[in-house]
Amino acid sequence: MLVIKNISKAFKGRQVLRNVSLEVPSGTIAFLLGSSGVGKSTLLRLLNNLEPLDTGQVLLNGKILDLTKINQEHSIGMVFQHFNLFDHLTATENITLALEKVLKKSSEESQKIAQNLLAHYGLADKGNAYPAQLSGGQKQRLAIARTVALQPAVLCLDEPTSALDPVLTNHVASTITDLATQGLSILVASHDVSLLQRLTCTVYLMQEGAIVETAPSAELAVYPERYPQIKNFIAGHS
Amino acid sequence: MIDFSIIITALPALARGALVSLAIAAGASFIGLTFGALLGVCHQSKNKFLSIPVTCYITLMRGTPMLIQIPFFCYYIFPWLGLDFSLAVKATLAIGLNSAAYISQIIRSGITSISSGQIEAARMLGLKTWQTAWYILLPQAIAVIAPALISEFITLIKDSSLASTVSVVELFKEGTIIISKTYNAIPIYCAIAVIYLLLTISLSWIGTHIQKKVRHYASH
Repeated sequence: MLVIKNISKAFKGRQVLRNVSLEVPSGTIAFLLGSSGVGKSTLLRLLNNLEPLDTGQVLLNGKILDLTKINQEHSIGMVFQHFNLFDHLTATENITLALEKVLKKSSEESQKIAQNLLAHYGLADKGNAYPAQLSGGQKQRLAIARTVALQPAVLCLDEPTSALDPVLTNHVASTITDLATQGLSILVASHDVSLLQRLTCTVYLMQEGAIVETAPSAELAVYPERYPQIKNFIAGHS
Repeated sequence: MIDFSIIITALPALARGALVSLAIAAGASFIGLTFGALLGVCHQSKNKFLSIPVTCYITLMRGTPMLIQIPFFCYYIFPWLGLDFSLAVKATLAIGLNSAAYISQIIRSGITSISSGQIEAARMLGLKTWQTAWYILLPQAIAVIAPALISEFITLIKDSSLASTVSVVELFKEGTIIISKTYNAIPIYCAIAVIYLLLTISLSWIGTHIQKKVRHYASH
């Protein structure tokens, strides 16, 4: 279980996150909903040590995480909004690079892991393709495969459908659900209501750097009036 | 009628001069590349104690003629620093220091051409800073900067002629010495131009070949 306690962050005096706390049990999805600039992506970046934390704590299975070492421990991984694939490497090499150079796995073992993951994500025939030769959906799946290869306990997805068409949103939703089924704690930062409607998750509505309302997605679907702020956000964005 | 037969007798001296020119260009390229890489990285630094002096240096070196810089370095700066080398070495150093200012900008453009997202992805995956530089930045940056670097090296072959301003006997100076003895300028100038052309075409060909190799490496 991932526990985030009272995380705050300011950039040059501007408060971006205010005492954000949430829990993401293993095998579940937390959906950070909100407009652009409310701090969703910043929270994911903090968890992945791409920005330093000001205050707060992050615990994984009861143990306090030192986020400055999180990139070497690989307990948390991230899939970026624009995928950030390595353009000069093939799909296979995008996956094997960290396996070989960081986890020090042998080339044969890394290749095997990469091939299995590529097959799992429907990219079996794209192993030798470069990112520029892949479609948006294929890039998304490769980015997920690259991160999942390191077997993180927590996976953060930043605006996973922003670069995809509505048809592919379904595929992304099923991929996220599949990952949660495998036992990962998933954090999705998105303003895409159509993605939210395809996931079974806990919804956290963020406004001005704070979580202002929380709702289980199943209950939200049946009793939206119980969650007026989320309801208003969805109404305004759907 | 212009007598081109003089070129035959002048050829050994011109060939000797061409070798000196090549040595100056090679030395200046090495200095320019190493010092320029350092300047390029410092120029990108967020530390103002690094970036401001480097910016001043680059502005000064790019904003003043090399024709003035070479004698200034050779007769004032290097002696003041206690560097007691031959004039050929001093001229090579001066040309290299000038080239470093240009190469620093080529290197900088290479670094900035790689999206910061890829660097963040490398960090997220746990790659160390040097691994990110070696496996991610360098292969892509080299592919971007190679054409501009080759162009700069070709320029350096021609710029080596400016070493003649401090009496270094390179290709151009050899030519002027021959002209002063024979009073036959046109054939010698033509011969000098052809030799420079052959040198730059050869370097361009080698550069294109290396570029292909680099592209191959960068994409594998």
